Amino acid sequence: MDTPTEPLLARSQWLRKALFEMAMGPKKGHIPSSFSMVEILVTLYFGGVARHFQGEPDHPDRDRIFVSKGHAGMAQYPIFAELGYFPREELDRFTQPEGLLGMYPDFRVPGIEGVSGSLGHGVGIGAGIAHAAKLDGKSHRAFAILGDGECYEGSVWESALFAAHHCLDNLVVVVDRNQLCIMGKTEELLALGDLRGKWESFGWHALSVDGHSYPELLEAFSHIGRTHGKPLVIIANTVKGKGISFMELAHLWHNRMPNKAQMAQARAELERNPIS
Amino acid sequence: MAASPLMRDVFIETFTEAARRNPNLIFISADFGAKALDVVREELPRQFLHPGIAEQSMVDIGAGLAMEGKQVFLYAMGPFISARCYEQIKSLLVTMNLPITLLGVGVGLGYDHATMTHFVLEDLACMRALPGMEILTPCDGESTREMARFAIEDPALRYIRLDRQPFPSVYGGRFAESLQNGVATVAAGEGLAIVTSGNFVHQAMQAREILRQEGIDLGVIDLFRIKPMNHKAVLESLAPYSRLITLEEQCLDGGFGSALLECLSDQGRSVAVKRLGVPGLYRAQNGNRAHLHQLYGISLDDTLCAAREAAKQV
Repeated sequence: MDTPTEPLLARSQWLRKALFEMAMGPKKGHIPSSFSMVEILVTLYFGGVARHFQGEPDHPDRDRIFVSKGHAGMAQYPIFAELGYFPREELDRFTQPEGLLGMYPDFRVPGIEGVSGSLGHGVGIGAGIAHAAKLDGKSHRAFAILGDGECYEGSVWESALFAAHHCLDNLVVVVDRNQLCIMGKTEELLALGDLRGKWESFGWHALSVDGHSYPELLEAFSHIGRTHGKPLVIIANTVKGKGISFMELAHLWHNRMPNKAQMAQARAELERNPIS
Repeated sequence: MAASPLMRDVFIETFTEAARRNPNLIFISADFGAKALDVVREELPRQFLHPGIAEQSMVDIGAGLAMEGKQVFLYAMGPFISARCYEQIKSLLVTMNLPITLLGVGVGLGYDHATMTHFVLEDLACMRALPGMEILTPCDGESTREMARFAIEDPALRYIRLDRQPFPSVYGGRFAESLQNGVATVAAGEGLAIVTSGNFVHQAMQAREILRQEGIDLGVIDLFRIKPMNHKAVLESLAPYSRLITLEEQCLDGGFGSALLECLSDQGRSVAVKRLGVPGLYRAQNGNRAHLHQLYGISLDDTLCAAREAAKQV
């Protein structure tokens, strides 16, 4: 790949630290679900994949990025501040009554495309956006980031059929395959099995990558526009809680907050970039 | 005299006329047809979508299209456009106030022989609970056409409830002037009135004709916009009456009569109201819609009995 990954690696550490501090103020948020998709978001926003415009969250030519796993929508906020969509001070007011940024994405927040939090809507919304772009001859694309647990929702697959039937190659779904839902491991609770194969059988151009590897993510996104009319899905194999050892793959940390000692440990660990 | 048109054909013909001029109008049907829809499919294929028998996905896709500025009409059988995709409607259309028209066909007991899964006896209660949802129920071709024009010209989040059956004209060209009021006096009476909507406007008119022979002058009020209810216009329409009957093809809990009682109570209007509607149970029995009306106590005979009883108290 031509895109140098050094700046992206630095972004990984920056975003994890920013998210952790954002959550530690009010002791609110979903840290592990956000941490598993850090590299996905950084690749989209800073890896030259998605089109966005500094200070212009509503630019008509922007790509529409929708975090369908809305509980982790907070992961976009530091990025939006960086892109000048709102003042950085808003990150310090996360979930506060006087603040702009809530725990779940609200469409009134600059940069947030639509309300999210209830699972299973992202593929349909993305398909609607992508279909409208095709009808209007516009070049923007729709990206939807799903959780793997979200793939239990039937509407995901209903809309997957629609997107393939209508050849929406301007729609990209990333499944954050972090292996956990609230109550435990997906494969133990109700096996999702071969997700790549399932999407492929629905008519999608399906790839499976290491979701913490910039070279692999960049290569996967480079398939956009080369899918022979198929929508693209990237199964990003990730670790829930990536970067804080005691949160990694520990389902009980879904929305738990660390105590003082754990906070110190987490901060120390976040000084060492888990991605290299 | 020409047969009365089906409401769905009237609505879709109105849509088609507008859609020919405006490529931004999109019609999505979850596998529910209409004669008039065949024209859209053939003539305007870029403005028609079939999302499969998948109402939940249909709402999600419609939301995405609307977020990009498309004017979207979602069309399905009444039970499936209301309850089946309620969460999608709530989480996306309501929260973002997307200007989408939801079209449900066969409300009430329209799908009589299909029985319980197809009965739509709670759509008013559930849709009424959603903030910002406008709810309209036409009773003839004319009111359907005017509501379609309104939905096209003034996009908003709206649920329009179409009957499965055709009904003869009620308004004779006068509906447009009542549209903004949300309520219309179909026939003025003396002391006693029935407040209803949709198919039951016709049953109320039948009752009125029969009772006239008995010296009872029953008023008939069509409360075709249950939400947002125009309290001022409703109170004005009901002012001449000391007793009211509400007649609905809905479960009584949270339905049409409930909405009117809330309005009267909130506005401090004290008036005796008898509610006729489906009691709180699902029952199915072979038989047509009239037969089911008897089963549920909302038949023409039941209406006459309630009116005679009320007339004694006027």
